[in-house]
Amino acid sequence: MIRSLAGSGRRLVAMALMMALAGCAGRQSALSPAGEDASWLHDLWIVMLVGAVILWTALNGLFFFVTRVRPNDWPERHANRLIIGGGVIFPTVLVGTLLAYGLSMMPHMRADGDGLVVKVRAEEWWWRVEYWPAGATAPIVTANEIRLPTGQRTELLLDANKYIHSFWVPALGGKMDMFPGRETRMTLRPETPGVYRGQCAEFCGPSHALMAFEAVILTPGDFAAWLEAEAAPAAPPATPEAQRGQTLFRDEGCGACHAVRGTEFDGLVGPDLTHLASRQSLGAGIMEVTREDLTDWIAHTRDIKPEVAMPAYDWLEAAELADLAAYLEGLK
Amino acid sequence: MTLRGILTVVAVLAGLGAAGGGAVVAFGLYNTSAHSGHWAVTEWALHTTFENAVALRAPAESEVPDLSDPALIELGARHYDGACAMCHASPGEMAPATIAWMEPEPPQVEQAVEPWTAAEMHWIVHEGVKMSGMPGWPAAAREDEVWAVVAFLQAVQQGMNADGYAALTGGESYCSGCHDGGNSRIPRLDILSPPYIEESLHAYRLGTRASGIMAQAATVMSPDRYAAFAQRVGTTAPRPATPNPPPVAAQGRGDVPSCLSCHGAGNDNPDIPTLNGQSRDYLATQLWLWRDGVRGGGERAPLMTAAAQGLTDAEIDILADYFSALP
Repeated sequence: MIRSLAGSGRRLVAMALMMALAGCAGRQSALSPAGEDASWLHDLWIVMLVGAVILWTALNGLFFFVTRVRPNDWPERHANRLIIGGGVIFPTVLVGTLLAYGLSMMPHMRADGDGLVVKVRAEEWWWRVEYWPAGATAPIVTANEIRLPTGQRTELLLDANKYIHSFWVPALGGKMDMFPGRETRMTLRPETPGVYRGQCAEFCGPSHALMAFEAVILTPGDFAAWLEAEAAPAAPPATPEAQRGQTLFRDEGCGACHAVRGTEFDGLVGPDLTHLASRQSLGAGIMEVTREDLTDWIAHTRDIKPEVAMPAYDWLEAAELADLAAYLEGLK
Repeated sequence: MTLRGILTVVAVLAGLGAAGGGAVVAFGLYNTSAHSGHWAVTEWALHTTFENAVALRAPAESEVPDLSDPALIELGARHYDGACAMCHASPGEMAPATIAWMEPEPPQVEQAVEPWTAAEMHWIVHEGVKMSGMPGWPAAAREDEVWAVVAFLQAVQQGMNADGYAALTGGESYCSGCHDGGNSRIPRLDILSPPYIEESLHAYRLGTRASGIMAQAATVMSPDRYAAFAQRVGTTAPRPATPNPPPVAAQGRGDVPSCLSCHGAGNDNPDIPTLNGQSRDYLATQLWLWRDGVRGGGERAPLMTAAAQGLTDAEIDILADYFSALP
């Protein structure tokens, strides 16, 4: 009985360990770095872990030694040496070295950018994003997605609308808090193209857990092409369905909050939708830009995302929702 | 007498009292006839309780707004005419004979207002009076509306006579008497679409749009007649242009959607009201109500509740001025 309990206990521990380790990999993990800053942080983490293991092992080993291996009286001279050397000098040197190593990284993460500036404002509960290429006089506005080029350092200027949030893409670098009325900055130098996930890392309200985004890392050539496309006005509706959707978009007043560049819709409240359909996600990293998710979102915003500013358009008929979704799906 | 003896006497008296009270309820011994009236002492106890309850709970005098606006007095008088005069009579008139046999008899309006301050009248009109036949305000959230009636009652205190009352409450019909466009606190209907008018009447009737005044009006009219009424008074003309809008109306702000995306020319949705030329004070009041979360309406009401959250007092005035001045 005890044997089988111990066996199932071991199996449980093994399972928990596997699940925990699985959580370390993937597109939202500081242990799978995809950029220079995240690599530094990854190294820092490993060094800290090794340092902590050494300190823990040495101190506990010493404790074991003096209580179990040689529990007899020690000459005062030896005992003093052991206490001062092992209990004061050794931990101070080790922790001091780790601190110096950790602090030496900070200037790198505040290094100047290479030209591109991305401004991110945390809203309730989504991300307003502006791209300011070197020399730009007006931004290219988008939302809920960050795209960055590899091989260059991009400057991120961060602030918040109403509450305190925190910007964190674990695969690319460290966290930076976002405050209303105060700009914070960080720089990132991604290295490996791919799609990673960012998440608000400061509890900010009922939909904090639903405030995420995709971070798409592109080669410089791909990034330049994407930015050019992003700067262009929206595609006009191409099908009768999408045209009806655009009329509904106007008559339901969607343009009061949402901008679609190249149209009369110029609202400033919600996310810019000019190229919504080219984004990786909908609703700030929680859904996909598909017909089904779009209709679901428009009709049930506040069920899906508590206290989000956008009211649920639950009076629209299924056919109307489909038309609206068709229009939005065409905003490539 | 011993403690035991005292307790026995108390227990016997309590038992007799309970039996007597139970008999009054169970055998109909108390005469509930309005003809029989109250004893003078009962009358005194009830009325003194009422007076003291009002004095304890009435709002502070500092909360009384300016009640001298003729538009406010007219609105109050017209609501009084439709909802209150049936019992309290109009100035210089008598209530119907049936009303005089209520117990207590509702005082004629000049006597009714005589002992009270404006703040006390607000409390009485808003709360009503239990066991007297005086109802509470039909929309409890709309304390603001009650001031119109208080403004009228104060005018009565100050000597409004039958002629003055008739001049305020005349009109071709029940609806147009208020809505003919001359009163800045009452909305014009001729610029609104029939579907919007009809939906609003249903909302008033159901209480999803809170208004004691319009709840009365919408329940006086049969819902079967709403559609035809809306067709008769509303308009199907396209939304007119809105030149030179203030910035907050044109594009909005980070926390304010633009007004004209819905209420401007080019939006053909008949469920959204046109604001051009709408009564100024009515617009301002509605924006306050939207911002405070008190204003409901049809199915799109959550849109305006969300839209008004970021408006400042100054912007509400700017918007009310702008839209009311448009042709």
